[in-house]
This record gives sequence, C-alpha cells and structure tokens, in this order.
Amino acid sequence: MNDAGAPTRPMGMAEALRDAMRIAMRTDPTVFLLGEDIGVSGGFGGGFTVTLGLAEEFGRERVIDTPISEGAIVGAAVGAAMAGSRPVAEMQYGDFVFCAMDQVVNQAAKMRYMSNGSVRVPMVLRLPVGASQRGAQHGQSSEAWFMHTPGLKVACPATPYDAKGMLIAAIRDDNPVIFLEHKLLYGGKGTRKETAQISLGTEVPDGDYEIQLGTVAVRRAGRDLTILANMLMVHRALAAAERLAESGIDAEVIDVRCLVPLDMATIEDSVRRTGRALIVEEDHLTGGWGAEIAARIADAAFSNLRAPIRRVAGPDTPIPCAPALERAWVPDVDRITAAAVALLGAASRHLTVASE
Amino acid sequence: MKHPVVMPHLGATGGDVKIVEWRIAERDVVAAGAALLTVETDKSVVEVEAFRGGRLTGPLAPPGSSVAPGAIIGYLSDDVEAAIPVAHVPPAPNAGRAAAPPISTPPAPAPLSQEVRAARIMVRLSRVRDSKDAAGFVERLLEAFATMVLIRRYEEHLYQLFLQGLVPGTLHQCQGQEAVAVGVCSALRRDDLVYSTHRPVGHLIAKGASLEAITAEIWGKATGCVGGKGGQMHLADFAVGAMVSNAIVGANIPIATGSAMSFRLQGLDRVAVSFFGDGASNIGAFHEGLNLAAVQDAPAIFVCENNLYAASTNFALTARITDIAARAAAYGMPGVVVDGMDVEAVYAAARTAVARARAGRGPTLIEAKTYRYRGHSRGDPGGYRARDEHAAWMARDPIERLKQRLVGDFALPAAKIDEIEAKAQAKVEAAVEFAQQSPEPSPDSALEHVFV
Repeated sequence: MNDAGAPTRPMGMAEALRDAMRIAMRTDPTVFLLGEDIGVSGGFGGGFTVTLGLAEEFGRERVIDTPISEGAIVGAAVGAAMAGSRPVAEMQYGDFVFCAMDQVVNQAAKMRYMSNGSVRVPMVLRLPVGASQRGAQHGQSSEAWFMHTPGLKVACPATPYDAKGMLIAAIRDDNPVIFLEHKLLYGGKGTRKETAQISLGTEVPDGDYEIQLGTVAVRRAGRDLTILANMLMVHRALAAAERLAESGIDAEVIDVRCLVPLDMATIEDSVRRTGRALIVEEDHLTGGWGAEIAARIADAAFSNLRAPIRRVAGPDTPIPCAPALERAWVPDVDRITAAAVALLGAASRHLTVASE
Repeated sequence: MKHPVVMPHLGATGGDVKIVEWRIAERDVVAAGAALLTVETDKSVVEVEAFRGGRLTGPLAPPGSSVAPGAIIGYLSDDVEAAIPVAHVPPAPNAGRAAAPPISTPPAPAPLSQEVRAARIMVRLSRVRDSKDAAGFVERLLEAFATMVLIRRYEEHLYQLFLQGLVPGTLHQCQGQEAVAVGVCSALRRDDLVYSTHRPVGHLIAKGASLEAITAEIWGKATGCVGGKGGQMHLADFAVGAMVSNAIVGANIPIATGSAMSFRLQGLDRVAVSFFGDGASNIGAFHEGLNLAAVQDAPAIFVCENNLYAASTNFALTARITDIAARAAAYGMPGVVVDGMDVEAVYAAARTAVARARAGRGPTLIEAKTYRYRGHSRGDPGGYRARDEHAAWMARDPIERLKQRLVGDFALPAAKIDEIEAKAQAKVEAAVEFAQQSPEPSPDSALEHVFV
C-alpha cells in the first residue's frame, strides 16, 4: 500500500514497463506491440524480458514478432498509428534505431505537420540505451538525436514508478514518443541480470496511473547547486549529492525525465535559487541534451548564475567495451562530485572577486 | 492580344540559357504544344514547346544569345489561336541533337506476357459478369477515361504554366502513367488508403481528391490540401483516403504495410496501397516492407510503376532482373506484371489483388510497365532517353488506346469524347484559378501542428 492506500508491490523497471503495457493493452484494444523476439513462445520477451508473458495474455496478433527489419518495424508503426492503432514498437537495442532513422525522423515526426494537423501518429518507440559492457554498437544514449527532431516527444525515466506511469502516458499520447530505457535500470534477474545494474526494487502501484510527459522531478532539494541528470545518471548524481553533503555542500538533484516537452520552468526556478548548474549526461558531450539545457539556462537566468554552467558527459569517442575503459568513459560518482566541488570553488572565487 | 514567351527555368543552376534556334519563323503560326525553339542549358539541349497556340511575333531574342530564365524572348499573339488545333502530345525529348544511344531496347510493342494475358482474360470475365449491365461497364470505362483525361490535362496545363514561370516550387509529373493510377484506384473503395510518392497527381486525382485543394497546395496557398506545408510532393485528401504523399523513395512501403496490419487487427476489410517507382525497388524499405507484409498477411497492395528510370538512371543499370515483380517470389507473395498502358489490364490485376487482400490472403506486388513522357522533374528534358524509345511508348498512349476502344468497340460518339475533354480542361482551369486567387498562408501557421 502507498500513502493513498492504493495497492503497490516492489517492481524493477522491466516489470514496471511490462505492467504499463499490460494495463494499456487491457484498457485499449487498439494497442499492440511489435519488435524482435518480443513474443516468441519459449523466448525471452525482447532483449531485456520487458514483454515476457504478454504474448501469452494478448496473443501473437497483438504481440508481433517481426523480422530483423528496424525500418519496417518503425514504418509499420507509423502506418498503423495513422490507421487507428496505438503501436508500441521496440528496438532490441537503442543503437539499432539508426537503421530506422528515415521512418523516425522523416515519417513519424513529420506526418502530423505535413498533414496540416489532419493525422495523428500515436506510437511509442522503446529504446534500451546505456553503456553495459557491450561496446560501441550496443550502448549509446541517443536522446539528443530525437530532441533535435521537431515532432517527437522524448521520455527517459529513471525509476520504475516513473517508467510505468510515463509509458502508460506515452501509449495514450497522440504523438510519437521516443521512450528511452536504461539497461542498467531494468533490474534483470538471474541470467538476465546486468553486471553493473543497480537495484531499484521500489514500490510501484499495481493500478493504472499516468505521469504527465513534459515534467521533471526534483529528487533531492538543495541550496548550493542544481544537478540535472537523466536515467542512470540521476542515481549517480544522487550518490554524489550524498557525498557532497558530507562536505557541507547542499546539492539539488533534478531528474530530467522528459526532454521533449521540456519543463524549463522547474529547471530555471531551481537554478535561480542555487545560482549554479551542473548537467550530467551519459551521452557524448558535443551536441548533447545538456548543451541545449545549458544554453536555455544561460538565456533565461544569466543574471542569477554565480558560476559557469558545467557539464559532465561521455567523451566524444565511441563507447569502449573493456570494463576498465567503460568505467572511465561513463560519468561516475567521483567525476560528478569533483565537478560539483570545482563549480563551487569557481563560484566562491567569483564571489570573492565580486565582493572586493 | 500578345502573350509574352518567357525563357523557362530549365537549367540546374538557374543561370542564363542560350537560344540555339527558333523552330518557327517569325510571323508563322504555331500550335500549342508544338516545338517553338531549341535552347541550351547547363544541363543539355532542350526543345521548348509553345505554351499556347498563336502567331510568333517579335521582337525575338536572337539565336546565339544567352537569356536569363523568366526574361521575355518573344510573343504569341492569339489572333489566329482559335483556328489552331491543340496538340496535347508533348514532344519527344532530346530534340535538337543526335539521339543518345538507347540504354535499353525500346520495349514496345512488346508481346504480351502471360500475366498480361491472364489479366486480359480476367477483364473479359469481369465483362461477362457485368454483361447484364453492359451500360454499367461502359459507364465505368468512360469514368476511367474521364479521370485519365483529367490527369493528363492537369499535368499538361501545369507544364505549360511552368514554362511561363507561373508555377512555384518543383514539379514531378506523371503524363503517360495515368492508366496505372486510374486502374488501381478504380478497384478501391473510398475508405481504402493510398500512399503516393513525389509524383502524386495521378494517384490523388484517381482517388478522388479535391482538384482545387491539391492545386492550391502546389501554389503554396492557405487553401492547399495541407495548408501550404506540403507542396507539390506532399499532396493529400484524407476524406478520400489519399494520405500525405511521400518524397522519400520507398518509405511508404512499410507505412502502407503498417496501415494494412492495423486494419487486420481492427477486423476491418480495408486495404492499403503503396505506389512507388522502379527505383524504389532497390531501397531497403521495399524489401523490409514487402517481407513484413507477407509474413503478416497484411491486406496491402504494392504497386510498382516501372517507368524505366529512377530520375535519369535506367533500371537496367541498377538491377540484373527485368521484371521487378519477380522479387515478390522472394517474399512469398504473388508478383504480377501488367501492361501499365492498359487501364483495363491494370484494373483487373488490382481487382484480383484487392480481393485477395480483403479476404485475408495477404499482399500482392503489381508491377505496371509504364513510361513517363516528361522528365523526372521540372527542367529535366530527359536527355538520357532515346527518341525512338520515347516514341514507341507514346504510340501506346493509354488514353488514346482507351479512346479508340470506346469509339471502336462501344461506338461512343466523338462528341462525347470532346465533351469529356472540354469538361476536364474547364475543371483544371477552374482549379488553377482557385489556387491563384487563394490567399497566402499566414506565417504563424508554419508553427502549427508539430504536436497534437
């Protein structure tokens, strides 16, 4: 039970996502799933068990195993969405979406506009992202590509609770939604357990609820700086915040769980209070979502800034595979903490100069 | 009254165009559509036809001079226009210079393939079935004829306006391919969906789209079918199931597949049609889409308009097969070759495919062998095509063929044909008038409809 008295149970993110699809499919017969290996009897429910058991409940007609044809998967989702269905398409790994970029960028994103508002494209494209010791072609976080494309909503939850509520909302949304899921947050079990996964077995309501797309969530209130992060990085930022607290630094952590639409009001409000912004993203530094948010903060709250906006991100290289290399590549708690301390240091110098 | 002849926008760069020669002497009379002059652009040597009939009057820009597109180079006065028969057959490309060696053997008149023969038989059968309503059959044939004439008149009229610099943006025209659009769409219901291409006018008109709205769209007006956001390559009329036409080659193949899958899931007996060209059969979306449609038994019909050229590249340079329909076998669906210059054959093949799809037996690939008389897009004179190839296809013109059949087999009076043609011309001119008189879209509307 949660505070409101609704029944809850502990769920990992994979289970929460499965629950979201189950609820959406039970409440709306036009919802169907398509992707590779998602419903095969005796199979594994997609790359990360998310759709396990759904084919048994809803039948192979609504849980469609496709050929390895990413372009056709997304294209068929676009066509089905325009014809009255609400398809949920899955890329087995987010990296494979690049095989389908025409359908995502030229078709899904533009059909509403090109029809002058006559058609709707209510589809979800689920992308498992994040480095997980699989190397350069199975670990990218591609949200910036989609954030740059008008017409796509971009969701990237960090918790099972959000994952469920946001996926239900995404499926019921009348726009195409790119839905990123971090592989280390799925909470896989047994042989499906990811080496470096983190446990998020939090209480999640059993029932039907939606989390509005276009909102961010303040995960930790603080006064000295604002740390903005998404997906896995939210958890690393929270760990860094605890460490900073030991040094008397009070960090606010905002989970940027949706990039499009982007809740800049909450972000600006936080940065105006703290005067400092640190953006943490697993994506490559250059042209990442952090760059966009930094520019918007500078635009809207420049006079409130007491220090330069800083970013901690993956370097501009493909993602390496060896555990030692990958650990060095993905922003970790040490790097986030150090960047925060440096930001405070720069700020205090700035304040010193200003007061003279 | 004198009508200025302007230098058309025919080159690749918009630079000056050189006048090679006037094909008509000053003060001589020319028919609309006849060769008026030969020019040399940065692309090639091109024949420019008269946008209207009349007497050529000066001052004429002299041969050898270079002139900017849009500049007035002479006049056509219409004092004699009424006496000039209108030629609706466009000239062969490549005029004014030696014909390039043919890349492919001119295919026409080809012996009928087995599939075409089969299609013909089906037409005869359908005729027998309709025989209790022979008048109904002729009525439908007439309707198909009228639609094909409307498409031809529309495209030709726009071409003439384009030559005068009066059409904004780009143009991809379908003269010669009318029988494919009309044959297929005649086999469809209003609630079936059609996904067209960057060459959409035939498909749109055949599906019953508003002529005014698509014309206004080409003119970039607020009254356009998609408010000016689409342009010539993105025409639509959702009320008749004509979805936004797609300018990414082959992209509509998986999309039509998805719509078809959705219909099946919803328990509807609607079908989705994807039109595409020969060039699209070499893109991944074709192969992925057909395979998915086949394995899903999707009620989709894939109509390949094989007009031999992907822009300027002959299909023979891009594939080792002759019949694109053969690729259907690789995906386990029927592949049908049909004479795309014969509307009855196309209709018969489409009807079979649609019936199959509606019955839940899956998709069909129809390859219609056809030809586009004009270039790939505006300003493409088609210099890569041999004159005799062009002539051979035009000798099989689908509209002329149907006209002869209507007059010959069904004793249709010539006056009826004239009436149909006049009506089509009037419709086209009214649509253009509507487009020209329509207001520009408000700049603010550019920001609308990104999201629901």
